[in-house]
Amino acid sequence: MKNFLFKIYMLGFLVLTVFFMVIIWKVTFAHIFHEYHDRHEAQEIAKFKEGKEAPTDKSTFEKIILESDERVKHYLGYKILEETRIKGHFHHIGFDIGPDKRSYCVDCHGDMPHDAVKEIRAFLNMHAFFVGCETCHVKLEKAQKTGVYKWYDRTTGEIVASPVAKEKPGSFRAKIIPFESVNGKLQRVDSQERMDFAREYEEREDTLTEAQKSRAKKLIHKIVHKQPYMCEDCHQKEKPLLPLAEIGYPKERIDSITGTEAVGMIKNYTKFYMPKMLLPGEANKKK
Amino acid sequence: MHARVKCEGCHTDITEIPHKPAKKVDCLVECHIVEPSSEKKFSHKDVETFLATSVHGRLDNEGKEKKYVEDYPNCKNCHDNPLYRPLSFFKKVRPGISEASLGRCRVCHKKEEFVFQFYNHVTTRLHKSRNPLNIAEMCGRCHDDPALVARHELSTKAVFSYGETFHGKAASFLDERVPDCLDCHVNKGESVHQMISHKDPKASTHDNNRGKICATIDCHPSASAKFASYGVHAEFSLVQSPAQYFFTVFFIILTGCTLLPLMGIIFLDIVRRFFPHAEMGRRK
Repeated sequence: MKNFLFKIYMLGFLVLTVFFMVIIWKVTFAHIFHEYHDRHEAQEIAKFKEGKEAPTDKSTFEKIILESDERVKHYLGYKILEETRIKGHFHHIGFDIGPDKRSYCVDCHGDMPHDAVKEIRAFLNMHAFFVGCETCHVKLEKAQKTGVYKWYDRTTGEIVASPVAKEKPGSFRAKIIPFESVNGKLQRVDSQERMDFAREYEEREDTLTEAQKSRAKKLIHKIVHKQPYMCEDCHQKEKPLLPLAEIGYPKERIDSITGTEAVGMIKNYTKFYMPKMLLPGEANKKK
Repeated sequence: MHARVKCEGCHTDITEIPHKPAKKVDCLVECHIVEPSSEKKFSHKDVETFLATSVHGRLDNEGKEKKYVEDYPNCKNCHDNPLYRPLSFFKKVRPGISEASLGRCRVCHKKEEFVFQFYNHVTTRLHKSRNPLNIAEMCGRCHDDPALVARHELSTKAVFSYGETFHGKAASFLDERVPDCLDCHVNKGESVHQMISHKDPKASTHDNNRGKICATIDCHPSASAKFASYGVHAEFSLVQSPAQYFFTVFFIILTGCTLLPLMGIIFLDIVRRFFPHAEMGRRK
């Protein structure tokens, strides 16, 4: 036993020696090679530039995707603010929400599916960050209707506790999904069965005939109602569609959500103008 | 810092929502804030003049565009949406807002928004508006780009070589007291946009003025002119800094050639302990 422990001890010591050798190599001789290589690379670029060869334009993919991935930390002393830095921009408003891996709707329709009505598409897409598609587009009737809504994690798809109290509005990593009643049991509307069917269709789409595709799409969209729930179905005091208190909203937020301002604005205005109060001095200038 | 400026203050062509494709913002536009000492509308116009005459200006002395003009910075290359960095002085100087001080403000000033803005504005202006590491990172976006350094025949990857110094290492640990790029490269009392080439006799980094950089009251007040003669941006390059190059190579070789064989011997010794009876050749 003593011999065995001694061997283990020696083996650990051996690994430690190799580890130190690597570190010493890196900070000594490898450092020289690295520095030389860096300088050499710069000189190569200079030669290239002197040759007046036009620099190759970066692809759109590089500009939009790769260059927008830089993260910066602002050291404010009392706190550190970290954000995505978008090259050439003044406001760095990167979304840190992450993709919705559970929803089979976004596989085809995307994370920002609302583009038809220009005036309200931004509002609708903003809601799509935390409201599952089925919440508005599926209208459960009679026995199916439960009035139960829960939050699911965008990455794992699991049902999770309400993020409302812990996170800031706009940064929830969860979405609301309705539950239906199937044979007396509660079941989330984006059931495993529906999800598997839609994903199988997606995989085999290229091999299907037009008639088969049409039938499959009809079945996938069978639960989708032609007329989705509208803004005022939730944004109302009397009987809002979502049980806001049950899904974790505090009273002040419920008052704000069910107030008439948001819906009134969308219903009553067809064109939005900047209010004059936001342009101080402009009114006097016109006079 | 721009919280009091409404969206249209900068995006002047946007008058309705949803808006049509908007023009790029002109940072020199007069915004709707009135500068209290002159009672004129506030503008960043002076910055344009400073920048034009600085080493970062796009035109040379003859008014022609400089070579590789696209490399020269515009406002957004250096400036993100700026953020307040308030300080408290109530008992000791520390980052953040002092509630005790705010209480004093509220005695006379009743508007909470005014108190908050004024406190943040003034205390942010009393020290570095950005942390030295943030400043170095900002300059490094251009000055550490090997292609840009080579194109403009600059002598060093400036932020990399700054990072190799004592000051740079302290900055990487978020020390606020160490000098950043602007402390040495801008004459005291001038705008940071008035940075001029070290070849210009007016520049703080000109050979005749360098001695004064370190000897400021905030840094090393009793430093002699020679104190500032060391290679601040010394790189591991035979051409740029031969003395540092040979010293570094000497110590690298000394360290490597001492420690690597030592580790090698320890390694072989441990291996031997695993196989105490092993031999290279056949026993006679």
